[in-house]
Amino acid sequence: MASNGRKADTVTLTIDGREVAVPRGTSLLQAAAALGIEVPHYCYHPGLSAPAQCRICLVEVEGAPKLQPSCVTIAQDGQTVHTDSELARGMRQGVLEFYLVNHPLDCPICDMSGECSLQDYVFAEGRERGRAQEPKRVFGRDDFGGDVLYYGDRCVMCTRCVRFMDEVARDSRLTVVERGDRAVIDTFFDSGLDGASFAGNVVDICPVGALVSKDFLHKARAWDLDHAPSVCPNCSQGCNIELHTRDNLVQRLKPRENPEVNGHWMCDYGRSRYEWMNRTGRIERPAMGRGEERSEADWPGTLEALAARLAGNEGEIAIVASPFCSVEALGALSQLAKEAGEAAAAVFRSPRAGDEDPLPGFPLLVRRRDLAPNVDGARLLGYARTGTDDGSGGLDEVAAHRGVVFVLGDDLNDQPDDFGAAADLFVYLGTFDSPAARNADFVLPVTTFAEEEGTFVNAQRRVQRFGQGLRAPGSARPAWLVLGALLAFLKSGKTPANAAEAFAALADEIPALSGMSHESIGPGGVRLEAAHA
Amino acid sequence: MSETPFRNPGWAGNTGEFELSEADVRGSAFVGRRPPEGVHPSTSASYPFMRVERDPGAKLFDGPWRERFEKMLTRYPTAMAALLPTLNLAQELRGHISPETMDEVAGLLGLSSAYVRGVATFYTMYNKRPVGRYLIQVCTNISCSLCGADEVLAAFLKHVGAELGENSSDGNFTVVEAECLAACGFPTCVQINERYFEDVSAGDVPAILKRLVSELEGE
Repeated sequence: MASNGRKADTVTLTIDGREVAVPRGTSLLQAAAALGIEVPHYCYHPGLSAPAQCRICLVEVEGAPKLQPSCVTIAQDGQTVHTDSELARGMRQGVLEFYLVNHPLDCPICDMSGECSLQDYVFAEGRERGRAQEPKRVFGRDDFGGDVLYYGDRCVMCTRCVRFMDEVARDSRLTVVERGDRAVIDTFFDSGLDGASFAGNVVDICPVGALVSKDFLHKARAWDLDHAPSVCPNCSQGCNIELHTRDNLVQRLKPRENPEVNGHWMCDYGRSRYEWMNRTGRIERPAMGRGEERSEADWPGTLEALAARLAGNEGEIAIVASPFCSVEALGALSQLAKEAGEAAAAVFRSPRAGDEDPLPGFPLLVRRRDLAPNVDGARLLGYARTGTDDGSGGLDEVAAHRGVVFVLGDDLNDQPDDFGAAADLFVYLGTFDSPAARNADFVLPVTTFAEEEGTFVNAQRRVQRFGQGLRAPGSARPAWLVLGALLAFLKSGKTPANAAEAFAALADEIPALSGMSHESIGPGGVRLEAAHA
Repeated sequence: MSETPFRNPGWAGNTGEFELSEADVRGSAFVGRRPPEGVHPSTSASYPFMRVERDPGAKLFDGPWRERFEKMLTRYPTAMAALLPTLNLAQELRGHISPETMDEVAGLLGLSSAYVRGVATFYTMYNKRPVGRYLIQVCTNISCSLCGADEVLAAFLKHVGAELGENSSDGNFTVVEAECLAACGFPTCVQINERYFEDVSAGDVPAILKRLVSELEGE
């Protein structure tokens, strides 16, 4: 402690024989985490208050008369803490035995199995055999409405879900009903969680299999899932998420912590919209020729033919792009257009919701009006919004354009069959064939965001990277690669080898992105303004 | 004196030991009125008092009940703190705490209905369904159990003619087990509505029931 009477900002303590300096006010649990020591815990969650009621994070503090709950005990200078002493381990074993008195141990049919704290802790430190002789009490399950299902038998009464609804969603719909071994989590009788737009988070924070997702129920085992870091594509908030995939299908979306964007949370709207990433019937091969003359071709032949047409181009270029495309793809397309001729229009269409939906206890997280991930990126790269709030219309000029028409990622679902009939050259880079693309001279299969790496710019003007979770179907390629190869033909340059190179090429050209790279963006993203400050 | 109106509310009725009047005990500091049914103001809505006749459809809260509710609110710093006495008051008025009552109490105090349900179900002295005019709570905790509580309980069930926890067919009685009633010196202790019956043996049960019925008929 400083001699002038003011308290130092950090305290130094010893945990399990190792010294650690942490900011004043840090809990013992967090201080141990800084050393890589995980103190078992149920009721403590970093995004919620700590009631210290689960009693499993008790640690031995030298000088204290009994074990202390590490989640609420504040680290003090010179403290000596043992998380793994005989006393602490014995206590945890005893607490775990109590937890198992009524826990059904139905791990083989439990969705949480493989990522369950109770399973992990008991496996690590529990008794080999329980001593309880009495029959376990049985509750069955309760449908909470929305996407949430409650198995009362498995519950450890940590009340994380109750506190999430109280403190973060500020919609106190969950409570502990009854007492003792009859206690269950419930809503007000049959009122349920319907209409609560952030209730899916209670499934994420449940440390055991008590609250599970109906959508994910019995779909996959936790250990079979691959986790790909990504960004939620369902609104322009860009919550950091993980794609959990199995058999090349997205099985569920889970939030990934980012204190500056979404904390530990994500909304139910985003969470529930992932099926489109698994949609089949994709364009799998590049093709050339309009209408009846359409024939499939290989990539080199297609790109060479297209590059030759672009090199000889004299018409103005109109672009329709989708804000579901990455910064790399949108940027490469505008670079290509600049190289190949005069720009006539560059527009994007995207659906807009009627209102925003903020998370009251974590105001940074808002389900935004723009229901697409890269609206701000598209604007930054010179694209303008067109069409109505349901993401349709607004393409009459482009449909009748006489020069070159590029369509990237937009399905043209609402467009007439003669879209682009008047164009000299109509290039369709997309994922699904569309009747409105029948006049396309070139159909180039590209990947969705889930099948490629790249970046989005969210509504906070934050550039965020996403990773690849799925293999692309057929010979679909990322749009930045297709467009980068075309650009290389035109400029006799080099095709980018990966998304990072495509971004680097863009950063040289776009002032707002200058000095940024995939490496400097990192896993948590960087705000455009901050990068230039 | 008026800033501490409840400084000395310790009147527990004339116990016969001292020749003191209510005014002597309360002093001039007391303000307010006795609530209906002769309940002492100091315990208004802080004591689970059960009237024999209740009105499950009564409004929360009207007239003198409203006064008691509002007076009670002044004693608690937050709505959460005032929840238990408010539920007491509602139970006193309606006889039990139904889901509708929980919802109404939540509305009165600005709490969530789920929270009120959680609190009401935690405490066993809130009746979550209608009970008979007399709620007979037989202590079966250790001291009473050692002195024949099981026989007393069986006698009550036999003479009332209802299952444990069920209402008798005439709606007069509900017999339940209770944990320790803090009368371990006088086993078996039975609490019937707000009254204690101590040193009860199985043989006393018919007389007790007869007395209760005669009280009902006398009203």
